[in-house]
Amino acid sequence: MIAVVRKALADLRRRRLQAAVIFLTVFLSMAAGTMAVTLMSQTRDPYQAAFDKQRGAHLQIAYSATTDLQLLAKTPATVGAASSGGPYPVSNIQFKFGDRKFFVDAIGRDNPGGPVEVLNVTSGRWARANDEIVLTRSFAELNKISVGDRVKVVSVAQAPSLTVVGEVVDIDEGSADLSSQRAWVTSATVPALSTPDSAFYLMDYRFAGDPTSAQLQGYIERLRASLPPGSITGSLNYILVRSIFNITNQILTGVLSAFSVFALAATIAIVATLVTGIVISAYREIGIMKAIGFTPTQVVGVFALQIVIPALVACVLGIPVGTLISQPLLANSSHALGLSYEPTFSIGLDVLLLASGVLVVAIAATVPALRAGLLKPIAAIAKAAAPRGTGGRRLRSAAARARLPRPVVLGIGDAFARPLRAALTLITVLLGVATVVVAIGLPRSFLLINNSETGAGNYQVVVNRTGAFADADAMRILNAQPETARVVAVGGKNVTIAGLADPVNTQLFRGDSSRLGYLVIAGRWYSAPGEVIAPAGLLHDAHLKIGDSFTGTADGQPLQFRVVGETYDINNLGHSMFMDIATMASVKPAVEPYRYAVTLVPGADVSAYVRRVSALEPDLLDVHAADNSIIAPVKIIDTVLLVIAAVLALIGVGGVFNTLLLNTRERIQDTATLKALGMSPRQVMVMVAASAGLLALVGGLIAMPVGLSLHHVLNDVISSSAGNDTPPSVYAVFNPLELVLIPLLGVVVAVAAALIPGRWAARTNVVEVLHSE
Amino acid sequence: MSELVRLSDITKVYQGGVTGAVNGVSLTVEEGEFTAVMGPSGSGKSTLLNLIAGLDRPTSGSVSVAGSDLGRMSEAALARFRRDRVGFVFQFFHLLPNLTALENVLIPAQLKSTTSAEASGRELLDQLGIAEVADRYPAKLSGGQQQRVAIARALINKPSLLLADEPTGALDTRSGDQVMELLMELHRSGQTILLVTHDAKLATRYAARVISVLDGKIVDDARLETAERAAADVIRVRGEEARP
Amino acid sequence: MSLKYGLLGLLVEEPLHGYEVKNRFEAMLGGTWEVNIGQVYTTLQRLERDGLVRPAGERGDRGKLLYEISDSGRKALNEWLAQPESGPQELREDIYVKLLLAARLANGDLGPLLSRQKRAYLQRLRDLNQLEARAKKDGRTDLARLVRGALLHTEADIKWIDELSETGISGESE
Repeated sequence: MIAVVRKALADLRRRRLQAAVIFLTVFLSMAAGTMAVTLMSQTRDPYQAAFDKQRGAHLQIAYSATTDLQLLAKTPATVGAASSGGPYPVSNIQFKFGDRKFFVDAIGRDNPGGPVEVLNVTSGRWARANDEIVLTRSFAELNKISVGDRVKVVSVAQAPSLTVVGEVVDIDEGSADLSSQRAWVTSATVPALSTPDSAFYLMDYRFAGDPTSAQLQGYIERLRASLPPGSITGSLNYILVRSIFNITNQILTGVLSAFSVFALAATIAIVATLVTGIVISAYREIGIMKAIGFTPTQVVGVFALQIVIPALVACVLGIPVGTLISQPLLANSSHALGLSYEPTFSIGLDVLLLASGVLVVAIAATVPALRAGLLKPIAAIAKAAAPRGTGGRRLRSAAARARLPRPVVLGIGDAFARPLRAALTLITVLLGVATVVVAIGLPRSFLLINNSETGAGNYQVVVNRTGAFADADAMRILNAQPETARVVAVGGKNVTIAGLADPVNTQLFRGDSSRLGYLVIAGRWYSAPGEVIAPAGLLHDAHLKIGDSFTGTADGQPLQFRVVGETYDINNLGHSMFMDIATMASVKPAVEPYRYAVTLVPGADVSAYVRRVSALEPDLLDVHAADNSIIAPVKIIDTVLLVIAAVLALIGVGGVFNTLLLNTRERIQDTATLKALGMSPRQVMVMVAASAGLLALVGGLIAMPVGLSLHHVLNDVISSSAGNDTPPSVYAVFNPLELVLIPLLGVVVAVAAALIPGRWAARTNVVEVLHSE
Repeated sequence: MSELVRLSDITKVYQGGVTGAVNGVSLTVEEGEFTAVMGPSGSGKSTLLNLIAGLDRPTSGSVSVAGSDLGRMSEAALARFRRDRVGFVFQFFHLLPNLTALENVLIPAQLKSTTSAEASGRELLDQLGIAEVADRYPAKLSGGQQQRVAIARALINKPSLLLADEPTGALDTRSGDQVMELLMELHRSGQTILLVTHDAKLATRYAARVISVLDGKIVDDARLETAERAAADVIRVRGEEARP
Repeated sequence: MSLKYGLLGLLVEEPLHGYEVKNRFEAMLGGTWEVNIGQVYTTLQRLERDGLVRPAGERGDRGKLLYEISDSGRKALNEWLAQPESGPQELREDIYVKLLLAARLANGDLGPLLSRQKRAYLQRLRDLNQLEARAKKDGRTDLARLVRGALLHTEADIKWIDELSETGISGESE
């Protein structure tokens, strides 16, 4: 046994470059894999733990302000809730901080604790006086408001000022960059902050077990049945909140898992190629080893160990690195949950990963090495003189007929001399290039979607008005500006439709909304009141298709709708509808728009416009430039994709490099002969580079359709997890030139990787290699 | 006849060597000569060949072949020199296994990017009596055939100098004789040949000039006579009756 | 003995006159052994005296006798053919004594002696090579074989010279 280890270590010292390749590829694969597994194992638990700890509400219902409080008090019994919170008086307010304005739902609540929805005060204290307000921590961080700051409420005429006295983490809402936020004041403060159309009640319900989505639907139905029509104006359930919370990590985990499998596959291909190559180069040695007494098992052991040792070191280093890198992502989650961040990883999991990683590499190394064990000593020594791989002849003739220079022709033939090795190398290249394609394409797709959601390029200014300022006045001001080209007014109303328990959020437009930038996936944009366009999630869950008519109620009043098209919208994970505001004409009280998307004439100065209009109504209008910046979760995913692409590209390069090392070493006699016949050092390097270039070209060309398909599939997976179909334009994010350039770039990289083996081959000492004595 | 090769006081010392592989050798070879360099293993004869071919650089002294001073040449220039001026025949043939016989023959020409070499290649194979193996791979050829392919390869660029290092070492007697006869014929057509061998019978059979090398030095430079002599002048068989 | 048995053996094929035996013998040896007729007759007479040959028939013109081999002659011939060469190695050339003497006198500096001798051997080798080639060309396979033997002997001599040159006798005591 000692002899086996000693021999393996001696061989390893001789083959340092190859050991480095193994180390690098295994390290990268293990790091990526560990990240994926760590994320996967942790995602559910922290949320659930926090949810239970903070006694989160399974269901939250918004009731109209006119609902009888006594009826509301009976609702927990109606649905069999184990505990309830509220009814809390709520007003949707707009406040100003500095020169920025924000909307929040201000909830009147005197005690952050209670049986349901415990609010975790992370900074400052709870509100005590009537001029105090508590914000969510994610809101405060996003908008850089701190405890002690004063804000001015501008949605009511009196414009009271409030002091921020505390920050909390609310388990029942998503983070500030993804959903609208709440704030808390004392219940006595709420009336002063309310206007007739801003006020409502909020109640929390918590159940004994964790209800399913169907059960929650059932509860809402029961509540609706037990109350006057129009009482329920909105609802939110913990499953949706959890999904929004988890979606980033779910996408990340999915992406990481898929690409970790790629990385592992590529690593296995490299290991198998390397071991086969080592065995081939060591035939003579194997014969001698056996002749001096190594048993077949020991021979296999020597070769397997040479690979396993660097792989083991790589695992030992890669697993902690992967765990470390996943920590910021997990910390992000924990932070959002208001949990104190504890580095989360399980030693057991890491040990399991280590064992599996080493096992997989060991198998990948042992199978080719078995050939070494089975060789008879004489056969081994004889095979040492045998020819080196005979494939690639047709390729070479084709290249010769194409009148390419001879060194290139020889290099091309060499690339496929051993077809199996070439195939394995192609696999590593393919995986690398396909991943790069995805890593370029997905962020672009995300950008397109982001732009469609934020109207990038279609409107430049967003104006919000408080209830205290009239719609007509807002329109008048905006239309009076010379740079205003077009104004689309936006309002919202929750509509209850059959088949869906939660009321559906609608976007009501006045004006040419088809030019706001939303993507039409099927059918067409609406052109008349009553026509709606909605994302796939809604259509699917409500069993609607394009052309269907259906009814719904808003504030209890019936409305007729007809589906004319499908669009993309991730708000509420696809449960939303877009329509003309006139659809709500029959609804009382009248539905009015509160937001205005302003398109300026080309070349207009956006900031000057914003400043001017702001100055006209500093308190009642919130004017700011449209924000097209990419939301944090997407940034995270983009970054991870970049890292993954780098990892797989590196592994791909490693694969080509490894194959070149093996090929140049095996062909050293031929190279020496060629040099003796007059091949110059540069021609030798061209020959090696041509080999690399061909492998990269073929691998890259095959990779393009694979990568594009993967891009397509991933888009679909991500869209559907957000309750949408993928808009066609989102697939087509590559221009044809790029599709040609990407494989060519792969060729350039491969040729660069060929420099080291190429130079080594060019420096072959002919005399030593061809000595006849 | 002009001078083709001139070695002036060549020394070659390998790293870690105390004595040189070649110690102060001076030598000239005329055009059209068939010279044999003989010596035991380790005598330096192969090193001399490598120096003349530009495969190795002397530690001191100068090597001049076909008018070119090899000491001034870069690696690339030496490669071109080998390609154009020198033809090699090795003991173990060193054909590229993945190329057909004809492709092997054409390599030096193709490295020069000569486009019309194929005809000359086939002609050479024909002259060497192996026209029919042009499209076969070396693994399917006998040793003698492989060496003849190697000779054709050595000749394709019409080199000034043909270097043969133990060309019959890996061949059976009959094939070896065939190969040497071929070299003899080439010599008769004017090719300058330098043969390195340890086999004195081989050397004296074909070469008129035999240079003996020992310990990196030339110990003898013999120009042998070629006149035909009667058997009786060459061998005397005697039994015991010869005693008076 | 090889002349005696060589002549005897030639009579196995058919009875021959003395001068015929001489010609055939010289032809067989390819010119490498020229005998004079007197020696031939003396040998034949000895053979007759030992009962291995006998005259065949009458004396012809000019007193030339035809000889034929006897039964005991055949027997003796076969015995001689069957016996391997087992006597001591015959080293007849001067070089052996010269070498030993020169080693003693020149304090081991044999260089010039050895290289001169080697050159002579090389020339001999060349001549032998040419002879062999001619013999083969003329279809004389037996002669070619003989020459081959001589070639290999000479090569062995050269190897000995080389060995002596390499190991350097200088400083060695006898």
